[in-house]
Amino acid sequence: MARLNSWVLFRMALRASLLQATWNYERQQGVGWAYSLEPALERLLPDPRQRAERLAEHTAYFNTQPTMASVALGVVAGLEERRAAGEGPDAAAMGRVKSVLGSSLAALGDRLFWMTLRPLAACVGALLAPAGMVRGALALWLCYNAVHLTLRFRGVGWGYRHGPEVLGERLRGAVGWLTLLISLGGCVVLGILTATLLAPGGVPRSLVFQVMLLTGIGVGFVVALRPRPSPTEWALGIAALCIAAAWMRGA
Amino acid sequence: MHDPSAAIRILGTLLVAGIAALDATPVAQTLLSQPLVTATVLGAIWGDWHTALEVGLVLQILSAATLPLGARTPEDYAVGGVIGISVALIAATRHPFAMVRESSALLGAIAGLLASVGGVGLLKWQRRRNEGLSRWCEAALRDGQLGALAAAHRAAIVLSFAVGVTYCAVWLAVAAPLAVKLASAESLRLARAFSLAQPLWLGLGVAQLLHAFVQRRLARAALFGVALVAAWLVLMVGSP
Repeated sequence: MARLNSWVLFRMALRASLLQATWNYERQQGVGWAYSLEPALERLLPDPRQRAERLAEHTAYFNTQPTMASVALGVVAGLEERRAAGEGPDAAAMGRVKSVLGSSLAALGDRLFWMTLRPLAACVGALLAPAGMVRGALALWLCYNAVHLTLRFRGVGWGYRHGPEVLGERLRGAVGWLTLLISLGGCVVLGILTATLLAPGGVPRSLVFQVMLLTGIGVGFVVALRPRPSPTEWALGIAALCIAAAWMRGA
Repeated sequence: MHDPSAAIRILGTLLVAGIAALDATPVAQTLLSQPLVTATVLGAIWGDWHTALEVGLVLQILSAATLPLGARTPEDYAVGGVIGISVALIAATRHPFAMVRESSALLGAIAGLLASVGGVGLLKWQRRRNEGLSRWCEAALRDGQLGALAAAHRAAIVLSFAVGVTYCAVWLAVAAPLAVKLASAESLRLARAFSLAQPLWLGLGVAQLLHAFVQRRLARAALFGVALVAAWLVLMVGSP
Protein backbone atom coordinates (compact mmCIF):
# COMPACT_ATOMS: atom_id res chain seq x y z
CA MET A 1 0.00 0.00 0.00
CA ALA A 2 1.42 3.41 -1.04
CA ARG A 3 1.94 5.88 1.82
CA LEU A 4 2.28 9.63 1.75
CA ASN A 5 5.66 11.00 2.75
CA SER A 6 6.61 14.42 4.09
CA TRP A 7 7.65 15.68 0.62
CA VAL A 8 4.13 15.02 -0.70
CA LEU A 9 2.59 16.76 2.33
CA PHE A 10 4.92 19.75 1.78
CA ARG A 11 3.89 19.98 -1.89
CA MET A 12 0.24 19.93 -0.81
CA ALA A 13 0.90 22.78 1.63
CA LEU A 14 2.64 24.77 -1.11
CA ARG A 15 -0.31 24.28 -3.44
CA ALA A 16 -2.71 25.28 -0.65
CA SER A 17 -1.33 28.80 -1.18
CA LEU A 18 -3.33 28.78 -4.43
CA LEU A 19 -6.52 27.42 -2.82
CA GLN A 20 -8.43 30.63 -3.58
CA ALA A 21 -6.99 31.32 -7.05
CA THR A 22 -10.10 30.01 -8.82
CA TRP A 23 -12.59 31.03 -6.08
CA ASN A 24 -16.12 31.33 -7.49
CA TYR A 25 -19.70 31.55 -6.24
CA GLU A 26 -20.66 28.08 -7.46
CA ARG A 27 -17.93 25.82 -6.00
CA GLN A 28 -15.99 28.40 -3.98
CA GLN A 29 -12.60 26.73 -3.24
CA GLY A 30 -13.48 23.44 -5.00
CA VAL A 31 -11.00 23.62 -7.90
CA GLY A 32 -8.21 24.93 -5.64
CA TRP A 33 -8.92 22.08 -3.25
CA ALA A 34 -8.53 19.48 -6.02
CA TYR A 35 -5.29 21.13 -7.16
CA SER A 36 -3.88 21.05 -3.61
CA LEU A 37 -4.81 17.39 -3.22
CA GLU A 38 -3.25 16.37 -6.56
CA PRO A 39 0.26 15.53 -5.19
CA ALA A 40 -1.29 13.00 -2.78
CA LEU A 41 -3.44 11.40 -5.47
CA GLU A 42 -0.44 11.27 -7.83
CA ARG A 43 1.25 8.99 -5.33
CA LEU A 44 -1.79 6.97 -4.31
CA LEU A 45 -3.41 6.42 -7.71
CA PRO A 46 -0.81 5.64 -10.42
CA ASP A 47 -3.56 5.07 -13.04
CA PRO A 48 -4.08 8.49 -14.73
CA ARG A 49 -7.70 7.72 -15.70
CA GLN A 50 -8.68 6.82 -12.14
CA ARG A 51 -6.77 9.83 -10.76
CA ALA A 52 -8.50 12.24 -13.15
CA GLU A 53 -11.91 10.86 -12.11
CA ARG A 54 -11.05 11.26 -8.42
CA LEU A 55 -9.77 14.81 -8.96
CA ALA A 56 -12.98 15.69 -10.85
CA GLU A 57 -14.92 14.44 -7.82
CA HIS A 58 -12.91 16.78 -5.59
CA THR A 59 -13.69 19.88 -7.70
CA ALA A 60 -17.16 19.94 -6.06
CA TYR A 61 -18.13 22.69 -3.63
CA PHE A 62 -15.76 23.26 -0.73
CA ASN A 63 -15.16 26.29 1.44
CA THR A 64 -13.34 27.06 4.66
CA GLN A 65 -10.94 29.62 6.10
CA PRO A 66 -7.97 29.38 3.66
CA THR A 67 -5.19 28.85 6.21
CA MET A 68 -7.13 26.22 8.16
CA ALA A 69 -7.77 24.39 4.87
CA SER A 70 -4.31 22.81 5.31
CA VAL A 71 -5.62 20.75 8.24
CA ALA A 72 -8.61 19.58 6.19
CA LEU A 73 -6.28 18.69 3.29
CA GLY A 74 -4.18 16.50 5.59
CA VAL A 75 -7.25 14.69 6.93
CA VAL A 76 -8.68 14.04 3.45
CA ALA A 77 -5.26 12.92 2.13
CA GLY A 78 -5.18 10.34 4.95
CA LEU A 79 -8.69 9.17 4.04
CA GLU A 80 -7.72 8.96 0.36
CA GLU A 81 -4.77 6.78 1.41
CA ARG A 82 -7.18 4.38 3.12
CA ARG A 83 -9.54 4.60 0.15
CA ALA A 84 -6.73 3.65 -2.24
CA ALA A 85 -6.09 0.60 -0.05
CA GLY A 86 -9.79 -0.32 -0.35
CA GLU A 87 -10.72 0.60 3.25
CA GLY A 88 -11.74 4.24 3.29
CA PRO A 89 -15.07 6.04 2.82
CA ASP A 90 -16.91 6.18 -0.52
CA ALA A 91 -17.42 9.38 -2.53
CA ALA A 92 -20.62 10.38 -0.69
CA ALA A 93 -19.07 9.84 2.75
CA MET A 94 -15.97 11.79 1.66
CA GLY A 95 -18.25 14.68 0.67
CA ARG A 96 -19.84 14.65 4.11
CA VAL A 97 -16.44 14.58 5.86
CA LYS A 98 -15.26 17.56 3.73
CA SER A 99 -18.42 19.48 4.54
CA VAL A 100 -18.00 18.97 8.32
CA LEU A 101 -14.28 19.77 8.18
CA GLY A 102 -14.90 22.92 6.11
CA SER A 103 -17.55 24.42 8.35
CA SER A 104 -15.84 23.50 11.65
CA LEU A 105 -12.44 24.83 10.57
CA ALA A 106 -14.03 27.99 9.14
CA ALA A 107 -15.68 28.69 12.50
CA LEU A 108 -12.29 28.40 14.25
CA GLY A 109 -10.22 30.08 11.52
CA ASP A 110 -12.46 33.09 10.84
CA ARG A 111 -12.31 34.08 14.51
CA LEU A 112 -8.57 33.48 14.77
CA PHE A 113 -7.36 35.01 11.50
CA TRP A 114 -9.90 37.56 10.27
CA MET A 115 -11.33 38.86 13.55
CA THR A 116 -8.24 38.94 15.76
CA LEU A 117 -4.86 38.18 14.15
CA ARG A 118 -5.21 40.43 11.06
CA PRO A 119 -6.45 43.42 13.12
CA LEU A 120 -3.63 42.82 15.66
CA ALA A 121 -1.00 42.73 12.89
CA ALA A 122 -2.42 45.98 11.48
CA CYS A 123 -2.24 47.63 14.93
CA VAL A 124 1.35 46.49 15.49
CA GLY A 125 2.33 47.76 12.03
CA ALA A 126 0.55 51.09 12.51
CA LEU A 127 2.16 51.52 15.92
CA LEU A 128 5.71 50.98 14.63
CA ALA A 129 5.40 52.63 11.19
CA PRO A 130 5.85 56.27 12.31
CA ALA A 131 9.29 55.32 13.74
CA GLY A 132 10.26 53.65 10.45
CA MET A 133 7.99 52.43 7.68
CA VAL A 134 10.07 49.37 6.86
CA ARG A 135 10.00 48.35 10.51
CA GLY A 136 6.22 48.80 10.65
CA ALA A 137 5.56 46.87 7.45
CA LEU A 138 7.92 44.08 8.50
CA ALA A 139 6.30 43.84 11.96
CA LEU A 140 2.83 43.60 10.37
CA TRP A 141 3.97 40.88 7.97
CA LEU A 142 5.85 38.83 10.60
CA CYS A 143 3.11 39.13 13.22
CA TYR A 144 0.54 37.63 10.84
CA ASN A 145 2.74 35.10 9.08
CA ALA A 146 4.26 33.61 12.22
CA VAL A 147 0.85 31.98 12.75
CA HIS A 148 -0.41 31.86 9.15
CA LEU A 149 2.61 30.16 7.56
CA THR A 150 3.13 27.80 10.52
CA LEU A 151 -0.45 26.57 10.24
CA ARG A 152 -0.35 26.43 6.45
CA PHE A 153 2.77 24.25 6.36
CA ARG A 154 2.34 22.18 9.52
CA GLY A 155 -1.44 21.89 9.31
CA VAL A 156 -1.32 19.30 6.51
CA GLY A 157 0.88 17.03 8.64
CA TRP A 158 -1.36 17.44 11.71
CA GLY A 159 -4.47 16.59 9.71
CA TYR A 160 -2.79 13.60 8.07
CA ARG A 161 -1.50 12.16 11.37
CA HIS A 162 -4.64 12.67 13.47
CA GLY A 163 -7.34 12.09 10.84
CA PRO A 164 -10.89 13.39 11.45
CA GLU A 165 -10.18 13.31 15.21
CA VAL A 166 -8.02 16.41 14.67
CA LEU A 167 -11.22 18.42 15.21
CA GLY A 168 -11.35 17.24 18.81
CA GLU A 169 -11.01 19.23 21.99
CA ARG A 170 -7.23 19.66 21.63
CA LEU A 171 -7.33 21.74 18.45
CA ARG A 172 -10.43 23.68 19.54
CA GLY A 173 -8.82 24.41 22.91
CA ALA A 174 -5.52 25.50 21.37
CA VAL A 175 -7.16 27.77 18.78
CA GLY A 176 -9.54 29.14 21.45
CA TRP A 177 -6.63 30.02 23.74
CA LEU A 178 -4.66 31.57 20.91
CA THR A 179 -7.68 33.67 19.85
CA LEU A 180 -8.20 34.85 23.44
CA LEU A 181 -4.51 35.76 23.84
CA ILE A 182 -4.46 37.67 20.56
CA SER A 183 -7.67 39.52 21.49
CA LEU A 184 -6.19 40.59 24.83
CA GLY A 185 -2.93 41.56 23.13
CA GLY A 186 -4.96 43.49 20.57
CA CYS A 187 -6.74 45.49 23.30
CA VAL A 188 -3.35 46.45 24.80
CA VAL A 189 -1.70 47.32 21.46
CA LEU A 190 -4.75 49.32 20.35
CA GLY A 191 -4.66 51.26 23.66
CA ILE A 192 -1.00 52.11 23.09
CA LEU A 193 -1.70 53.03 19.44
CA THR A 194 -4.53 55.39 20.48
CA ALA A 195 -2.28 57.06 23.06
CA THR A 196 0.43 57.44 20.39
CA LEU A 197 -2.08 59.02 18.02
CA LEU A 198 -3.10 61.51 20.73
CA ALA A 199 0.46 62.40 21.76
CA PRO A 200 3.11 61.08 19.34
CA GLY A 201 6.52 61.09 21.00
CA GLY A 202 5.00 62.71 24.12
CA VAL A 203 3.94 65.88 22.27
CA PRO A 204 0.15 66.27 22.47
CA ARG A 205 -1.61 66.88 19.15
CA SER A 206 -3.81 69.96 18.74
CA LEU A 207 -7.13 70.05 20.58
CA VAL A 208 -8.96 69.89 17.23
CA PHE A 209 -7.13 66.65 16.36
CA GLN A 210 -7.87 65.10 19.76
CA VAL A 211 -11.57 66.06 19.64
CA MET A 212 -11.88 64.80 16.06
CA LEU A 213 -10.18 61.49 16.95
CA LEU A 214 -12.56 60.93 19.86
CA THR A 215 -15.53 61.93 17.65
CA GLY A 216 -14.32 59.41 15.07
CA ILE A 217 -14.16 56.69 17.74
CA GLY A 218 -17.71 57.56 18.83
CA VAL A 219 -18.99 57.42 15.25
CA GLY A 220 -17.06 54.17 14.75
CA PHE A 221 -18.93 52.47 17.62
CA VAL A 222 -22.27 53.39 16.05
CA VAL A 223 -21.03 52.16 12.65
CA ALA A 224 -19.79 48.87 14.14
CA LEU A 225 -23.30 48.00 15.31
CA ARG A 226 -24.83 48.29 11.83
CA PRO A 227 -23.98 46.24 8.72
CA ARG A 228 -24.87 49.14 6.33
CA PRO A 229 -23.46 51.60 5.39
CA SER A 230 -20.03 49.96 5.55
CA PRO A 231 -17.10 51.68 7.35
CA THR A 232 -15.64 52.55 3.91
CA GLU A 233 -18.87 54.30 2.91
CA TRP A 234 -18.83 56.16 6.24
CA ALA A 235 -15.22 57.20 5.57
CA LEU A 236 -16.26 58.60 2.17
CA GLY A 237 -19.12 60.49 3.82
CA ILE A 238 -16.66 61.93 6.36
CA ALA A 239 -14.41 63.08 3.51
CA ALA A 240 -17.31 64.87 1.79
CA LEU A 241 -18.32 66.53 5.08
CA CYS A 242 -14.76 67.72 5.83
CA ILE A 243 -14.31 69.15 2.31
CA ALA A 244 -17.66 70.95 2.61
CA ALA A 245 -16.63 72.33 6.02
CA ALA A 246 -13.27 73.53 4.65
CA TRP A 247 -14.99 75.20 1.67
CA MET A 248 -17.58 76.93 3.84
CA ARG A 249 -14.87 78.38 6.02
CA GLY A 250 -13.26 79.89 2.90
CA ALA A 251 -9.64 80.30 1.90
CA MET B 1 5.49 62.18 -17.87
CA HIS B 2 8.52 62.71 -20.14
CA ASP B 3 10.97 62.01 -17.35
CA PRO B 4 12.31 58.43 -17.79
CA SER B 5 12.55 57.96 -14.03
CA ALA B 6 8.83 58.84 -13.74
CA ALA B 7 8.00 56.14 -16.30
CA ILE B 8 10.02 53.61 -14.30
CA ARG B 9 8.20 54.68 -11.13
CA ILE B 10 4.82 54.26 -12.82
CA LEU B 11 5.84 50.79 -14.05
CA GLY B 12 6.99 49.91 -10.52
CA THR B 13 3.65 51.12 -9.15
CA LEU B 14 1.70 48.98 -11.64
CA LEU B 15 3.81 45.94 -10.71
CA VAL B 16 3.05 46.54 -7.02
CA ALA B 17 -0.68 46.75 -7.93
CA GLY B 18 -0.48 43.40 -9.75
CA ILE B 19 1.33 41.72 -6.85
CA ALA B 20 -1.16 43.19 -4.36
CA ALA B 21 -4.07 41.88 -6.45
CA LEU B 22 -2.51 38.40 -6.34
CA ASP B 23 -1.68 38.39 -2.64
CA ALA B 24 -5.12 39.64 -1.59
CA THR B 25 -6.96 36.45 -2.55
CA PRO B 26 -5.57 34.20 -5.31
CA VAL B 27 -2.00 33.60 -4.06
CA ALA B 28 -0.76 32.95 -0.52
CA GLN B 29 -2.66 35.73 1.36
CA THR B 30 0.44 36.73 3.34
CA LEU B 31 -0.73 40.37 3.85
CA LEU B 32 1.85 41.75 1.39
CA SER B 33 -1.17 43.52 -0.10
CA GLN B 34 -1.99 45.46 3.07
CA PRO B 35 -1.85 49.25 2.55
CA LEU B 36 0.94 49.75 5.09
CA VAL B 37 3.19 47.25 3.28
CA THR B 38 2.43 48.60 -0.21
CA ALA B 39 2.86 52.17 1.15
CA THR B 40 6.38 51.23 2.27
CA VAL B 41 7.29 49.90 -1.18
CA LEU B 42 5.65 52.84 -2.99
CA GLY B 43 7.29 55.32 -0.60
CA ALA B 44 10.66 53.84 -1.59
CA ILE B 45 9.79 53.93 -5.32
CA TRP B 46 8.62 57.57 -5.26
CA GLY B 47 11.12 58.72 -2.59
CA ASP B 48 8.47 60.20 -0.27
CA TRP B 49 7.91 58.23 2.92
CA HIS B 50 5.98 61.00 4.64
CA THR B 51 3.05 61.15 2.19
CA ALA B 52 3.05 57.37 1.76
CA LEU B 53 2.76 56.93 5.53
CA GLU B 54 -0.03 59.48 5.93
CA VAL B 55 -2.25 57.81 3.32
CA GLY B 56 -1.08 54.25 4.08
CA LEU B 57 -1.88 54.56 7.79
CA VAL B 58 -5.43 55.79 7.18
CA LEU B 59 -6.17 53.08 4.60
CA GLN B 60 -4.51 50.39 6.76
CA ILE B 61 -6.58 51.20 9.84
CA LEU B 62 -9.79 51.30 7.78
CA SER B 63 -9.00 48.10 5.86
CA ALA B 64 -8.09 46.08 8.97
CA ALA B 65 -11.74 46.04 10.00
CA THR B 66 -12.95 44.87 6.58
CA LEU B 67 -13.52 41.14 6.91
CA PRO B 68 -13.56 38.63 4.01
CA LEU B 69 -15.98 36.29 5.79
CA GLY B 70 -17.82 33.51 3.94
CA ALA B 71 -18.91 34.43 0.41
CA ARG B 72 -18.93 38.22 1.12
CA THR B 73 -16.88 40.24 -1.34
CA PRO B 74 -15.07 42.85 0.76
CA GLU B 75 -13.81 46.22 -0.49
CA ASP B 76 -10.61 45.80 -2.50
CA TYR B 77 -8.16 47.64 -0.25
CA ALA B 78 -5.25 45.77 -1.85
CA VAL B 79 -5.35 47.46 -5.26
CA GLY B 80 -7.37 50.40 -3.87
CA GLY B 81 -4.55 51.04 -1.39
CA VAL B 82 -1.92 51.06 -4.15
CA ILE B 83 -4.06 53.46 -6.20
CA GLY B 84 -4.71 55.85 -3.31
CA ILE B 85 -1.11 55.95 -2.14
CA SER B 86 0.31 56.41 -5.63
CA VAL B 87 -2.19 59.16 -6.55
CA ALA B 88 -1.09 61.03 -3.40
CA LEU B 89 2.59 60.43 -4.17
CA ILE B 90 2.28 61.62 -7.78
CA ALA B 91 0.47 64.80 -6.70
CA ALA B 92 2.93 65.48 -3.86
CA THR B 93 6.00 64.86 -6.05
CA ARG B 94 4.93 67.59 -8.48
CA HIS B 95 4.67 70.28 -5.76
CA PRO B 96 6.73 69.30 -2.73
CA PHE B 97 5.38 71.90 -0.27
CA ALA B 98 3.93 70.95 3.12
CA MET B 99 0.42 72.20 2.35
CA VAL B 100 0.32 70.56 -1.08
CA ARG B 101 1.47 67.34 0.55
CA GLU B 102 -1.47 67.43 2.98
CA SER B 103 -3.94 68.15 0.17
CA SER B 104 -2.37 65.33 -1.89
CA ALA B 105 -2.81 62.98 1.06
CA LEU B 106 -6.53 63.85 1.25
CA LEU B 107 -7.05 63.32 -2.47
CA GLY B 108 -5.04 60.09 -2.35
CA ALA B 109 -7.05 58.72 0.58
CA ILE B 110 -10.34 59.56 -1.19
CA ALA B 111 -9.08 57.96 -4.42
CA GLY B 112 -8.07 54.88 -2.41
CA LEU B 113 -11.48 54.59 -0.75
CA LEU B 114 -13.34 55.06 -4.05
CA ALA B 115 -11.08 52.57 -5.84
CA SER B 116 -11.62 50.03 -3.02
CA VAL B 117 -15.39 50.31 -3.38
CA GLY B 118 -15.16 50.24 -7.19
CA GLY B 119 -12.93 47.16 -7.03
CA VAL B 120 -15.76 45.07 -5.53
CA GLY B 121 -17.49 44.93 -8.94
CA LEU B 122 -14.29 43.72 -10.60
CA LEU B 123 -13.74 41.04 -7.95
CA LYS B 124 -17.32 39.81 -8.44
CA TRP B 125 -16.79 39.73 -12.21
CA GLN B 126 -13.63 37.62 -11.79
CA ARG B 127 -15.43 35.26 -9.44
CA ARG B 128 -18.30 34.80 -11.87
CA ARG B 129 -15.77 34.20 -14.66
CA ASN B 130 -14.09 31.53 -12.52
CA GLU B 131 -17.41 29.64 -12.43
CA GLY B 132 -17.03 28.86 -16.13
CA LEU B 133 -13.40 27.96 -15.56
CA SER B 134 -14.28 25.48 -12.81
CA ARG B 135 -16.99 23.82 -14.94
CA TRP B 136 -14.51 23.51 -17.82
CA CYS B 137 -11.93 22.09 -15.41
CA GLU B 138 -14.26 19.35 -14.15
CA ALA B 139 -15.30 18.42 -17.69
CA ALA B 140 -11.65 18.29 -18.82
CA LEU B 141 -10.72 16.07 -15.87
CA ARG B 142 -13.59 13.69 -16.61
CA ASP B 143 -12.16 13.63 -20.14
CA GLY B 144 -8.83 12.49 -18.70
CA GLN B 145 -6.89 15.76 -19.08
CA LEU B 146 -4.81 15.87 -15.91
CA GLY B 147 -3.22 19.20 -16.82
CA ALA B 148 -6.61 20.98 -16.58
CA LEU B 149 -6.17 21.92 -12.91
CA ALA B 150 -2.81 23.64 -13.46
CA ALA B 151 -4.13 25.36 -16.61
CA ALA B 152 -7.19 26.68 -14.75
CA HIS B 153 -4.97 28.05 -11.97
CA ARG B 154 -2.61 29.70 -14.44
CA ALA B 155 -5.54 31.36 -16.23
CA ALA B 156 -7.11 32.65 -12.99
CA ILE B 157 -3.79 34.01 -11.69
CA VAL B 158 -2.94 35.77 -14.97
CA LEU B 159 -6.44 37.27 -15.07
CA SER B 160 -6.20 38.51 -11.50
CA PHE B 161 -2.77 40.11 -12.09
CA ALA B 162 -3.93 41.73 -15.34
CA VAL B 163 -7.10 43.11 -13.74
CA GLY B 164 -5.07 44.59 -10.84
CA VAL B 165 -2.57 46.25 -13.18
CA THR B 166 -5.23 47.55 -15.60
CA TYR B 167 -7.48 48.89 -12.85
CA CYS B 168 -4.55 50.73 -11.29
CA ALA B 169 -3.40 52.09 -14.69
CA VAL B 170 -6.89 53.43 -15.50
CA TRP B 171 -7.15 55.12 -12.09
CA LEU B 172 -3.69 56.66 -12.40
CA ALA B 173 -4.43 57.92 -15.91
CA VAL B 174 -7.69 59.56 -14.80
CA ALA B 175 -7.20 60.55 -11.17
CA ALA B 176 -3.52 61.47 -10.97
CA PRO B 177 -3.62 64.50 -13.37
CA LEU B 178 -6.79 65.70 -11.62
CA ALA B 179 -5.15 65.32 -8.20
CA VAL B 180 -2.03 67.20 -9.38
CA LYS B 181 -4.19 70.16 -10.51
CA LEU B 182 -6.48 70.16 -7.48
CA ALA B 183 -3.67 69.72 -4.93
CA SER B 184 -1.90 72.84 -6.15
CA ALA B 185 -4.96 74.99 -6.98
CA GLU B 186 -6.90 74.31 -3.78
CA SER B 187 -4.08 73.35 -1.43
CA LEU B 188 -5.24 75.50 1.50
CA ARG B 189 -8.81 74.25 1.61
CA LEU B 190 -7.86 70.62 0.93
CA ALA B 191 -5.09 70.68 3.57
CA ARG B 192 -7.63 72.04 6.05
CA ALA B 193 -10.10 69.32 5.09
CA PHE B 194 -7.36 66.70 5.62
CA SER B 195 -6.60 68.02 9.10
CA LEU B 196 -10.29 67.39 9.95
CA ALA B 197 -10.74 64.11 8.06
CA GLN B 198 -7.52 62.32 9.14
CA PRO B 199 -8.36 62.06 12.88
CA LEU B 200 -11.99 61.19 12.07
CA TRP B 201 -10.87 58.38 9.76
CA LEU B 202 -8.34 57.08 12.28
CA GLY B 203 -10.95 57.22 15.06
CA LEU B 204 -13.47 55.37 12.88
CA GLY B 205 -10.92 52.62 12.21
CA VAL B 206 -9.78 52.40 15.84
CA ALA B 207 -13.41 51.91 16.95
CA GLN B 208 -13.90 49.12 14.40
CA LEU B 209 -10.76 47.35 15.60
CA LEU B 210 -11.74 47.80 19.24
CA HIS B 211 -15.15 46.32 18.48
CA ALA B 212 -13.42 43.28 16.92
CA PHE B 213 -11.14 42.73 19.94
CA VAL B 214 -13.57 43.54 22.77
CA GLN B 215 -16.55 41.46 21.52
CA ARG B 216 -18.80 43.17 24.14
CA ARG B 217 -16.69 41.93 27.06
CA LEU B 218 -16.27 44.57 29.74
CA ALA B 219 -12.93 43.23 31.02
CA ARG B 220 -11.36 43.62 27.55
CA ALA B 221 -12.68 47.17 27.23
CA ALA B 222 -11.13 47.90 30.65
CA LEU B 223 -7.82 46.43 29.45
CA PHE B 224 -7.89 48.79 26.45
CA GLY B 225 -8.60 51.74 28.78
CA VAL B 226 -5.78 50.83 31.17
CA ALA B 227 -3.31 50.40 28.26
CA LEU B 228 -4.39 53.75 26.79
CA VAL B 229 -3.96 55.67 30.07
CA ALA B 230 -0.70 53.91 30.97
CA ALA B 231 0.81 54.53 27.50
CA TRP B 232 -0.33 58.16 27.56
CA LEU B 233 1.26 58.67 31.00
CA VAL B 234 4.50 57.03 29.89
CA LEU B 235 4.57 59.21 26.77
CA MET B 236 3.88 62.42 28.69
CA VAL B 237 6.08 61.75 31.71
CA GLY B 238 8.83 59.98 29.81
CA SER B 239 9.32 62.76 27.26
CA PRO B 240 11.73 65.60 28.12
